[in-house]
Amino acid sequence: MKSIVRILSIILFLPLCAVAQDDYSFDLAEIEKKPYAAGGYLEVTPRLFYTDPDAAFYTLNFYDRADKDWLDEYFLKLSMDGRYTKGLSEIYARANINTTESDVDSDTNIVLDEGYLSLKPASGFNISLGKKALRWGKGYAWNPVGFVERPKKPDDPELALEGYWVATLDYIKSFSGPLKTVAVTPVILPVYDHVNTDFGERDTVNYAGKLYLLLYDTDIDFMFLKGGSRPFRFGMDFSRNITPNFEIHGELARIDNSVHRVVRSDGTLAASTGDAESFLLGIRYLTRTDTTFILEYYRNETGFTGDEMDQFFGLVQDGIDLYRQSADETLLKRARAVTEGSYGKQNPMRDYLYLRVWQKEPFDIPYFIPSVTCIYNMEDKSFSLSPELFYTGITNLELRLRAGFISGPGNTEFGEKQNDFRLELRMRYYFDVLK
Amino acid sequence: MKKLFVLMALCFLFPSPASALDGNDLLLRIDRNLNPDSYEAYKKLINIEPSGKKKEFVLFTVKKEKDKVAALFVSPASEEGRSTLRLGENMWLYIPNVGKPIRITSLQSVVGGVFNNSDILRLDYTAEYDVKTVEEEGGNYLLHLKAKTKTVAYDQLKMWADRKALLPLRIECITEASMLVKTIYFKEVKDFGGGIVRPSVIETDSPLYKGYKSIMIFANIKERKLDDEVFTLTFMPNLDSLR
Repeated sequence: MKSIVRILSIILFLPLCAVAQDDYSFDLAEIEKKPYAAGGYLEVTPRLFYTDPDAAFYTLNFYDRADKDWLDEYFLKLSMDGRYTKGLSEIYARANINTTESDVDSDTNIVLDEGYLSLKPASGFNISLGKKALRWGKGYAWNPVGFVERPKKPDDPELALEGYWVATLDYIKSFSGPLKTVAVTPVILPVYDHVNTDFGERDTVNYAGKLYLLLYDTDIDFMFLKGGSRPFRFGMDFSRNITPNFEIHGELARIDNSVHRVVRSDGTLAASTGDAESFLLGIRYLTRTDTTFILEYYRNETGFTGDEMDQFFGLVQDGIDLYRQSADETLLKRARAVTEGSYGKQNPMRDYLYLRVWQKEPFDIPYFIPSVTCIYNMEDKSFSLSPELFYTGITNLELRLRAGFISGPGNTEFGEKQNDFRLELRMRYYFDVLK
Repeated sequence: MKKLFVLMALCFLFPSPASALDGNDLLLRIDRNLNPDSYEAYKKLINIEPSGKKKEFVLFTVKKEKDKVAALFVSPASEEGRSTLRLGENMWLYIPNVGKPIRITSLQSVVGGVFNNSDILRLDYTAEYDVKTVEEEGGNYLLHLKAKTKTVAYDQLKMWADRKALLPLRIECITEASMLVKTIYFKEVKDFGGGIVRPSVIETDSPLYKGYKSIMIFANIKERKLDDEVFTLTFMPNLDSLR
C-alpha cells in the first residue's frame, strides 16, 4: 500500500514539473529523429466494488471464501515500448508488467503484447514478422470481423490488445477516380504447442486476408480466415461519413460450421454445429454543441440464448444448494469450468445495444470530457451504465474517474454479475526514455 | 457626355489592380507562397489558457497536391504515434492503442483548444473555397471566400493578404449565419530555404473560447515528392518512417 502511495505521488508530481517550462521556441532538437526510441506509461488504478451476494458469478467466486460486501483492488501497470530502425527495417516491441493486489487475489504477470520485425521497401509495401496486434472492423464496442485478434472489452474498447504471432504484409495502391485506394493484407497465423496456443486447434497453419477499398469516399473491407484452428469465416465492414458530423458503419461476419457448446443445468455439456451470422450497425454523430453520440446494435449468433443462460444459472444454483447440503463441489466446479471464455466472458449473449455519449470541454474546462456509456442486453433487459470523467489537462497525465452501475433481475446477464457497483480512478503517466 | 465616355473608356482600359486580378488566381498564388504543392514540415501547436497555462504538441506533417494531408504526433509522449489523415473531406485518426483508424470530422479537435482538425490538416484554400470578391484595403488585398461545399468547416473566410508578398496577414472564419467563429493571424515571415518564404507563426483566437489562444509554429518546411500511397489508411501506422 505504501509503495502505491509513493507511485501516486510521483505520478502527480512529475507533470507539475513539466508545466513549469514555457516559451514559444521550436528547438530543432525536439524534432530530431533517432534510430531508436523508447517510452511507455505507468498506470495506477485503485478500484472499489460493491458485491451482489445473490448473483451467480459471486457464488462461483466466493462459495468457498468469506463473504465480502465491498472489495478493493489495486492495479499497477508498466507498459514499455521501443523501436530500432535501420535502413528499411524496424524492430518494434511493446511489453507490460501487470500487478493486481486485491482482497481475494494477488497476481503479477509480464506480457509481450507485440514484438515484430518490419521491412518497408516502399511506401506501398510493408512486411511484418512476429507478434503483432491486427485490429479489423469498424465497430467501436464489438468487432464480429475481428478474425485474427483477441476480443476487446466493450466497456473499455480503446485498451491495447495482445497480438498473435503472424507473418503479414500490406500492399497499397492508390488511384485517382472514385476508387482511391486498394490495400491487400494477407496473414499467416501458425498454431503450435508454444505459438498462439489460445487461438484454437493446434498443429495447423491458418490463413487470413483483408482487402480494403476506399470507394466513393466509403471505407470498405472484405476479410476471411481459413485454417484448422477455427471454422472458416468471412465478412465485410464499411464506414462512411454521410455528413461531416454524421458517420455510419457496419460489419457482417459469417462463420461456417460454428460449434456451439452449452452446459445443461445438470452440468453435462452439449455441442451443436451450424452456420452463424453476426453483424453490427452503428452511427457516430457530433452535435453543434460538441456532444458526440456513438450508438451500435450488435447481433451475435454465436452467443447464448436466454434459455441457455438460464440453464447455466440453474447449474450454479443447484451447485450452491448441493455444496451447502453436503460440501459437494462437483456442480460448482463444472460451472466454473465453462465460465472463462464462455459464460463468463463480457457480453456472452446475442443482442446488444451500445450507447456512448460524451461532451467536449463543458463549463469551459479545457481537456475535460465527461461521458456516459450504456451496454444494454436486449434479450434479458439487463444493462450496465458507466458515467466517466476524463481529464488530460496536464501534459502526459491522463486521469479517468469511472463508475459502473450494473443492473438487472435474477437470471439475467448483468443481474448475475459479481458486482452491483464499481468505482475506479485510472491514473496514467506517459514518458519517453530515450529522447 | 464626351468626357463621361472618355472616363468610362479609361476605366475599362486601365482597371484598378484588385479588379484586374482573377480572385482564384490570386488565391492560388497565396496557396503556393504558403507552401509548395508537395511538402513536409514540422508544426508545434501551443494551446494557451486564460490562466497562462500551456499545452504543447509537435507534429510532423506531409501534404501532396490540393487535398492530401497527413500528420503524425511526435510529442508529448501521451500523443506520440497518433496520426491523422485527410483526403478531401474524409478524415481519420489513428491511435496506436486502438490499432486502427477511425473516421473523425473537420469540426472536432484532436488536440483541444481553438485549432480544430481542419486547421491542423489544412488543405489548400483553393481546394475548399472560391473567391467571390477582391477588395483593396489599407494597401492590402481583402479576399472574400465562399466554401465550395457545405462540408467545409467554415462557410466563409475574409482573408487580408499582403499585396506585395501575397501572403495572408489575417483570416476571419465565418459561419453560414455570418457569425465570426475564429480569427487567424499570420506572423513572423521567415525564409525556410528552397524559395519558401512564409509566416512561421500562426496565432488564433475565438469569441467562442474567450481568453484562449492557440499558436502554431512552423519549422523545416521542405518541398518533398511523396507517393500517393502515403496518404492511405493502411499507411497511417507507418508515417514515422517518412521522418
